[in-house]
Amino acid sequence: MVRPGTEQEKGEVVAIELVLARLLRVGSVIAAALLAAGIVTMVLGLTALAPKLISAGLIVLMGTPVLRVIAAGIIFLKERDWYFALFSLVVLCAVAAGILLGSAA
Amino acid sequence: MRGKSGRCEETGGARVVVTFIEIFLIGIAAGVIGSILGLGGGIIIVPALTLGFDMSIRTAVAASTVSIIATSTGAAVAYLRDRLTNTRVAIWLEMGTSIGALSGALIAGFMNQRVLFVMFGLLLSSSAYNMFRTRKAEHAVQVVPDAVSRKLRLGGSYYDMALGQQVDYQVTRTIPGLIIMIFSGAAAGLLGIGAGIFKVPAMDQVMGMPFKASTATSNFMIGVTAASGAVVYFARGDVDPLVAGPVVLGVLLGAILGAKLMVRMKAAKIRLFFIPVLVYTAFHMFYRGVKWW
Repeated sequence: MVRPGTEQEKGEVVAIELVLARLLRVGSVIAAALLAAGIVTMVLGLTALAPKLISAGLIVLMGTPVLRVIAAGIIFLKERDWYFALFSLVVLCAVAAGILLGSAA
Repeated sequence: MRGKSGRCEETGGARVVVTFIEIFLIGIAAGVIGSILGLGGGIIIVPALTLGFDMSIRTAVAASTVSIIATSTGAAVAYLRDRLTNTRVAIWLEMGTSIGALSGALIAGFMNQRVLFVMFGLLLSSSAYNMFRTRKAEHAVQVVPDAVSRKLRLGGSYYDMALGQQVDYQVTRTIPGLIIMIFSGAAAGLLGIGAGIFKVPAMDQVMGMPFKASTATSNFMIGVTAASGAVVYFARGDVDPLVAGPVVLGVLLGAILGAKLMVRMKAAKIRLFFIPVLVYTAFHMFYRGVKWW
């Protein structure tokens, strides 16, 4: 697969994938730490604190894919990849609409 | 565990710990299987929690939806680094899944759900048949990219550790792929699943992507498909932290482990695990579509 400008393109692809990988890694590490802390406190009998820690972990986890879409959108904008910036925006709006509709119902 | 909380208090902390460990182990299993096959793992978690622990469907589906995000996030780190995930294809197709999920939620009240289930069943059966036919192939034959794929530069390249070689590939039938994703998103919205079972065949069979790139990309996408559902369940208070906590932690760890295993597996082997899951789900969809009792 020989394409013109392959070197430069590869550079871009590598950059976006590494940025997203780092973001997802940070999200999953924070979520896992909060969940583990919550489960340990539950086992220790601190029943008031445990659900809060676990919920915090779940919120971090649920926010990660949304942040991932936003991050991808920003990277595409910076690279002037207008189509993909637009696609990211469409995805983001659909997710937001889903949350609003679901919560209203 | 809500229904059991009284009993838990009576029998003390030991019972809680045992239940936590059991749920945690189920989570690990679901995470490993889900991450390798590009699925959310809901097909394991929902029956395990409802049948094994007497939980309500509501609690189980809510916990499962959150854990789909865990499978996706946990495995995606490894898949992104190994370049197995095609981020451009993922974002293109996510438009289909997210719009589909939205319309699934909207039409749920108006359209006859049985018709939808039968349609899902048909779609999955044909995927199962096609996948069985090509079960031995490690790669699709030379794929010629269509105009949209060329314009959007959807082709990709990754180093396959199982084959010990670089795999360059092209993507075709970009629009039919997007249309299937709308169905997949609708299924996800209606059933509270990640619907990776629709996504993998769409990329592998229809769009001509390598199987491993398809499961990794599906895995990447299901997190976004599940995100709005998960937030809604959470806001409604359906997510029980004491159930979701151990499941999700298990799934996260399982997915990290599964992703490490998958990059070293041959595509033909992963397909062999995928086909029975596909057949089972197809039957399940038909069953829900035609059952009259």
